[in-house]
Amino acid sequence: MMLEDELTVSTRERDGVAIIDLFGDVTTFAEEKINGAYREVTNKGARFVLLNFRQNDYINSAGIAILIGIVTEVNRNNQKLAVSGLSQHFQKIFRMVGLAQYAEIYQDEEEALAGFRRLAAA
Amino acid sequence: MSTPSPTQMSMELTLPSELGYEVIARDAVAAFARRLGISPDRLEDLKTALSEACINAIEHGNLLKPGLRVQIFCRFEEEQLIIEVVDQGVNAFAPKGEPLSITEKIAGLGSLRGMGLMLISQLCDEAGFVPRHGTGNCFRFAFYRRPTPALQR
Repeated sequence: MMLEDELTVSTRERDGVAIIDLFGDVTTFAEEKINGAYREVTNKGARFVLLNFRQNDYINSAGIAILIGIVTEVNRNNQKLAVSGLSQHFQKIFRMVGLAQYAEIYQDEEEALAGFRRLAAA
Repeated sequence: MSTPSPTQMSMELTLPSELGYEVIARDAVAAFARRLGISPDRLEDLKTALSEACINAIEHGNLLKPGLRVQIFCRFEEEQLIIEVVDQGVNAFAPKGEPLSITEKIAGLGSLRGMGLMLISQLCDEAGFVPRHGTGNCFRFAFYRRPTPALQR
């Protein structure tokens, strides 16, 4: 029996920011969906990318490794990355592994968009 | 449900060695820990630590071989919840030095994986591999029910 938890990934654009919504668990099974969504927004010319976490009860180290891969690509493509919507626990985990050095962590989407606006105006 | 009596303060689980089953173990152990009075924020730490320990057992100890099992032993003693995760020892798993930092990973100096043990050690009050009779790696970690001030986060 396979126990792959469904992760739903979708993309949208708002105020010049490419938003990748991640609903569900972020584990090793998420790699294709997350990388595919990132490639999609990058191919459309995204400069600002927001990973918007929604209802993520489970993010493990394999999922975090996928996100580190995204950070690598973001640096290579000269984009800016932020994350929003994480629980307090997963914000702590992201800081522990060092992801906060490479992606601003915001409480929610609105706060992240305001952060990107400040960045664009600077 | 009432608080468990001393004779109820242990629990054992046996899981198929397949990724995904660590979530079932996590939820069961978290329910056990909640009844023992582990605080909500520490429960979140426990859930992540337990998941990572199971993933290590499945991926590194049992080398993702189908048909193997992972055992989990939980007991509460001396104000500590002690959890042991045991694989079938296809591979002797032990950490190989310090894990790479995220900067080193992004620079391409090694695998993007390999953060599980680091996370566990930061989230628990005690953690490490322990000797075991018979085959299999045994990873033990513990959460104190009432952290001392030095341990409070």
